[in-house]
Amino acid sequence: MRILYPFILSLLSFITSCSRPRELTFMVGGSPNELLYWEKVIGEFHEKTGINVKLIRQPTDTDQRRQGIVIALRSKSRDPDVFLMDVVWVGAIASSGWLEPLDSYIERDNLDLNKFFSRVVDEVDRYRGNVMALPVYVDGGLLYYRKDLLRKYGYTNPPETWEELLQIAKKVQARERQKNKNFWGFVWQGAMYEGLICTFLEFSSSFGGGIATDSTGRIVVNIPQNVEALQFMQDLIHTYKISPPNTYTELKEEEVRLIFDEGNALLERNWPYAWGLHEKNPELKNKVGITKLPHKKGKRSASTLGGWHIGISRFSDVKNEAWEFVKFVTSYEKQRDFALNLGWNPGRVDVYADTVIEKTAPHLVLLKDVFENAVARPSLPYYSGVSQILQKHLNSALSLSETPQEALQNAQNEIDEFIKKYED
Amino acid sequence: MKEVYVKKILIVIGSVFFTLFVLIPVIWMLFVSFTRDLGFLQGGGVNLTLSNYINIISNKNLHMLDYLKNSIIISTITSFLVIFITGFGAYAITRFNFPGKFTIPLMMLAISIFPQISIAGYLFKIESNLRLINTYPALIFPYTAWTAPLALWILISYFSQIPRELDEAALVDGASRKNILLKIIFPLSTPGLISAFLIVFIACINELLFALLLTTDYRAQTISVGITLFQGLHGEIPWGELMASASLVTVPLIILTLFLQKYIISGLTRGGVKG
Amino acid sequence: MKIKKNGEIRTAYFYISPLLTIILLFILIPIVGTFINSLYRDISYLPSRFTGFTNYAELIKLSDFWNSLKFTTLFTAVSVSLETILGISFALLLKEVFTGRSFLRTILLIPWAIPTAISARLWQLMYNYNYGLLNYFLDITHTGAKVNWLGTVHGAFWAITIADVWKTTPFMTLILLAGLQTIPDELYEQAMVDNASMWKRFLYITLPLLRPALVVALIFRTADALRIFDLVYVLTGGGPAGSTRTISILGFHYFVNGDFGTGSAVSIIIFLLVFIFSLFYIKAGRFKETL
Repeated sequence: MRILYPFILSLLSFITSCSRPRELTFMVGGSPNELLYWEKVIGEFHEKTGINVKLIRQPTDTDQRRQGIVIALRSKSRDPDVFLMDVVWVGAIASSGWLEPLDSYIERDNLDLNKFFSRVVDEVDRYRGNVMALPVYVDGGLLYYRKDLLRKYGYTNPPETWEELLQIAKKVQARERQKNKNFWGFVWQGAMYEGLICTFLEFSSSFGGGIATDSTGRIVVNIPQNVEALQFMQDLIHTYKISPPNTYTELKEEEVRLIFDEGNALLERNWPYAWGLHEKNPELKNKVGITKLPHKKGKRSASTLGGWHIGISRFSDVKNEAWEFVKFVTSYEKQRDFALNLGWNPGRVDVYADTVIEKTAPHLVLLKDVFENAVARPSLPYYSGVSQILQKHLNSALSLSETPQEALQNAQNEIDEFIKKYED
Repeated sequence: MKEVYVKKILIVIGSVFFTLFVLIPVIWMLFVSFTRDLGFLQGGGVNLTLSNYINIISNKNLHMLDYLKNSIIISTITSFLVIFITGFGAYAITRFNFPGKFTIPLMMLAISIFPQISIAGYLFKIESNLRLINTYPALIFPYTAWTAPLALWILISYFSQIPRELDEAALVDGASRKNILLKIIFPLSTPGLISAFLIVFIACINELLFALLLTTDYRAQTISVGITLFQGLHGEIPWGELMASASLVTVPLIILTLFLQKYIISGLTRGGVKG
Repeated sequence: MKIKKNGEIRTAYFYISPLLTIILLFILIPIVGTFINSLYRDISYLPSRFTGFTNYAELIKLSDFWNSLKFTTLFTAVSVSLETILGISFALLLKEVFTGRSFLRTILLIPWAIPTAISARLWQLMYNYNYGLLNYFLDITHTGAKVNWLGTVHGAFWAITIADVWKTTPFMTLILLAGLQTIPDELYEQAMVDNASMWKRFLYITLPLLRPALVVALIFRTADALRIFDLVYVLTGGGPAGSTRTISILGFHYFVNGDFGTGSAVSIIIFLLVFIFSLFYIKAGRFKETL
């Protein structure tokens, strides 16, 4: 078949050319400024060690980042070699056997684990006693507020309780609306994605509830405090109308940040990363303050533990190089740089005492306390399934398709069923 | 007569509706691709700019050009493969008598409506074990299998229109079957080949599910995945740039379609309508 | 002569073998493999073991599963009906002779040529609450408050349906137009001589004779609508609150969450659904005659 011959040849050459050269591939997503900074980091790493790193860029959306990593790992692909994982996936990825245990590398290079937040390492990074990942940065939900607007309307301090927040936000929104139709009192993430769980965890914990695992390992969500909290979230949108109607359809981190950034919100619930971006905005410079999230009167403020951890794929063909990169990223200098440039909160505790940090980013020192006491989501192999069930019902309550009672009851039932199947 | 009037009115209304229906989304897409910020609908000014296009082409991290390259290569290879394989198959079915002559095409027809998800999972496993994930063959093979049925039917309907006497005559002259196929049948059914090629090509560019599951990064991902995952330079979707990427892909496709329409239409309708 | 016949059969198989091989390897074996996989508990962080039809039994108990089926069939019914009505109308329009007809025929294929992912993103923009074209029109014509298209269950349903109808009506129109063209003009002329009204002519000549083409188009579109994935994945991802999760997306979610066993079970169920349709398709289309 003479005609087919060259054709088959070219096909074969395509197939064989698909064996990749050995290089370190790093898979990470995030907002644009973060990705740009990663490129810088990679360049610095190359200068220091001579190792070439290829950046595989992912979308900003957390779920899509997870999808990408899970598909790659499940196919036992040699790429990516090293990647970032959300705090809640580390358990699942580790228990699926996809992470390279780091203990031997840590021992060999004398890395001092105590330099990191020990609670975070123990609760998130350890699987069956082995360290499978290391924290790159930790996160916790915060309340951002417009200092100038508060002052304008006669308030000296940001709200500490939800009751206060309601009162202040309603008043400011009403007045500001006279000039700006698009002004909202309080914006937060309510779309149906993992972020909703974080938001809910904060609301519910600050009402005295939360997402707990009882002694039998059962996940408990259906308690009166949670119902009350969910009702409050629902009311913010539909009754008090200080949060926009697309809260539960479109609002994720960036959407919320942009609303605040454009001057259309008084209060914002977001992660620390937004701080740097707001400060860079000439319209907002020096007008933005951060503080702990409010709580119900008599209860305590809560902040969901977030953050991203770095791990090495068990199927990587360049593990030593990957480990060098891990060390680089979690080094004192880089951790400090992340803090100064991206507003990230280092996973290393020793950086918080740094003098440069204390001078240029004093708020970080404030936050160290918040992070040491942040509330964590359950670290389970099948967490994503539980999360999806809960997301669905929470979102449905926010969209008024279910009452808070129904939502939490149904969620509880489905979660119980689900766990039965996924526990061995 | 009244009826002529009514007809005329219906035609006018129909045409206007039809045109709007088809064109508004496309024009909108092009328009947005040239704007910098979408607030213009709310009263902001309209800022026409080329920056969206420049950004997506020059920004290496967006990998738009990579996705385009991958799509074109994968679709082209698949289309050629399919034409060859189904060409031989269609020839056999229309020229020879053998057991399976009827059942095979019918089975292919049934296969053409298989849901992709039913195959995707296991395909993922096979390709993982063969270390094919995130390579061109990862998509080329499934695409070939998945578009072959339709191509087969198109070619069958074209080939069956070519009288068998031509074959007989050539056979008598000592030509081999292979040569008859390649030198006589193929040239005579060029419209059919082009139809099949185009339909397969467009189907491959369109495809999303396999591409999502079987590829993991820009080295093999197609433009469909690229556009789906485009959250580009902000967690919030950058509509201007997204529409610019969309236009980059769509405009050539539309032009291709407009020029080669008659092939596409005859290919689609032949296989679809009885006789 | 017998020798020639045997040689013929061998050549025939030789010619058809590449086709058969690739179908075997990349379609038939995966289907069987998926079925076998569905009989196992196959979850990424648990040891895998044979569980028979447990995956199916548990699926049937899940309200998520039935909601998926319900949504998928409802969506199919509505969008296919709309496409048919529009398709017939456009086909009738394009059959008439008038200036501008060739222009219309030319632009007909545009929605079909645009990759699904792209048209989905495009519609996503048009449905956007703040910046969308649709809400803009609603706003300026004061026909009502802005609709949260992708945020409410009903809104999302219609959003997906309209986008799907837009994309696939050209295909319907084409098939129906081809069918219309097989109807002899003499029949119409005869009817006009008999003073039959336009509507009557449509009802008693056009529709019945269009039936073969209609059946083909209907069944093909129905099977497509049942297995829809691309459009929904991009527009809503299955939201809000999982209400637009078609059965294909349900399967996809299971796969991506590491539960290959249940994902495979869902896949097989979809497969059976569509396969039954394809048998129907072959019977109704009477394709054997074409061969």
